[in-house]
Amino acid sequence: MTDLPPYNSIKQQLQACRSKEETFKALVALSKRLTRLTAEEKTEENRVKGCESAVWLIIDNKDDTYSIKADSDAKLMRGVLVAILSLVQGKTKTERQKMDLKDELESLNLGSYLTQSRANGILAIIEKIKK
Amino acid sequence: MAFDPHSLRQDFPILSQQAYDHPLVYLDNAATTQKPLSVLDAIQDYYRSFNANVHRGAHYLSDNATTRFEQARDTVARFINAPEQSHIIWSKGTTEAINMVAYGLEHLLEKGDEILITSLEHHANLVPWQQLAFRTGARLRILPLTSQGEWEDEYASYFTDRTRIFATTQVSNAIGVHTPLQAMLTQAKQHNAFTLVDGAQAVAHYPIDVQALDCDFYVFSGHKMYGPTGIGVLYGKSHALEVLIPYQTGGEMVQHVTYQSTQFNTLPYRLEAGTPHIEGAIGLAAACEFLTQQDRHALLAWEQSLAHRVYTRLHKESHVAIYSPEKHTTLVSLSVPNIHTLDLNAYLDSQGIAVRAGSHCAHPLMSQLGVAGTLRASFACYNTLEEADRFCDVLLEAIDLLTDE
Repeated sequence: MTDLPPYNSIKQQLQACRSKEETFKALVALSKRLTRLTAEEKTEENRVKGCESAVWLIIDNKDDTYSIKADSDAKLMRGVLVAILSLVQGKTKTERQKMDLKDELESLNLGSYLTQSRANGILAIIEKIKK
Repeated sequence: MAFDPHSLRQDFPILSQQAYDHPLVYLDNAATTQKPLSVLDAIQDYYRSFNANVHRGAHYLSDNATTRFEQARDTVARFINAPEQSHIIWSKGTTEAINMVAYGLEHLLEKGDEILITSLEHHANLVPWQQLAFRTGARLRILPLTSQGEWEDEYASYFTDRTRIFATTQVSNAIGVHTPLQAMLTQAKQHNAFTLVDGAQAVAHYPIDVQALDCDFYVFSGHKMYGPTGIGVLYGKSHALEVLIPYQTGGEMVQHVTYQSTQFNTLPYRLEAGTPHIEGAIGLAAACEFLTQQDRHALLAWEQSLAHRVYTRLHKESHVAIYSPEKHTTLVSLSVPNIHTLDLNAYLDSQGIAVRAGSHCAHPLMSQLGVAGTLRASFACYNTLEEADRFCDVLLEAIDLLTDE
């Protein structure tokens, strides 16, 4: 998790994409930065409902140190998760709740990777992060 | 191959566009087909020239609209060789037609009766029967067809004297295999079960003769056979349609109404409450005429040759699993181990290729195949060999890009 690229560089990289193909390739590259969950961590309880692909999210915010882990069975979704994790990593609960996560993600120029049937899933992820 | 799709494509202007700066390659025809100009013109002509409500006979336009609307019914009847046009009931589509039968037969079912369907059904030919079983105490049974669709002698034991309804698809939407229709219908009839055939995936490709099939009900959608969305057909034999309790009631389906009771109209109107989808019926008739004017054997042979081309090219790739039969199908359903079909779909889309990724509304079948979903390339008469090849090329590129070293 510590080797996530800084959010600003992810943002720059994605915003520079000029075609659907470039965004695809950028997301594939990002997906490789995700620390995968173990099979034991991929429980039904950790599963986010509403995603077209399977997405698991584990949030541990016992004290002030917020830890978040995520995984998906789809590679492009793993790329999107890297962007989301990088965005919220190290932020306190108040900071997270103040952020407009949806707006921020929409600024990434992900187009159809974020819209339509995927949107519900992303919203569900945002909901879970804000709690 | 004598057939040339290039001239036919001129009837489908939607196909000559770019998608993400690539030529659009439309291979999602099992979900919905594109519409030829003759269908678009028929719909526009209705609104421009004779739009009025039907069956009211009050004025010039209404008479015209009613005549054309009933001619459409006649065209559809001839298209599937129904004995009379009163056997054609308009519906919103296949799903509504199946629901009309599932509700309409409810009064004949008792606890312990059996409803038999196959393991290759779309949810549209599964959920209405499952819910009917819940409501009546009947038992839903599944005939476990293999993904090859062949008849096995042991299947006969699934047809019993308690089987009241047997419903099957003609062609699987998810994997393109044909079910052993005649053998199953013979069994069902021996046990006096009502028989329903879901022809949604068949009508665009295969000439249909409902009298030869000899099923009680045959259902299909307009939009999968070059017609408009929102219109479909419930064909039924007279005695089968007569026993259906109307699923919806209201205007148009009545002869006389008092506050105490209603005398229903005769068939087909008894099962068509409310103002019908007039433009849909007229558009669907135009689609039937479009198909009738073609050499349907040549069209089918062409579509099958495209699917076969994809099959033979991808079959050689050890990492591609194909679930469709090698021959006699117009679609190819596949998956690649360790690569999500949505990821494959995203790359294909980025190159302008439209296919379908997912479970194809057939969750139980996906479980049977042991996959979460498949990628489905489905062909129509306007697809070209270049498009089939481009699909294969781009799919292999996608696999390369998505494979971890």
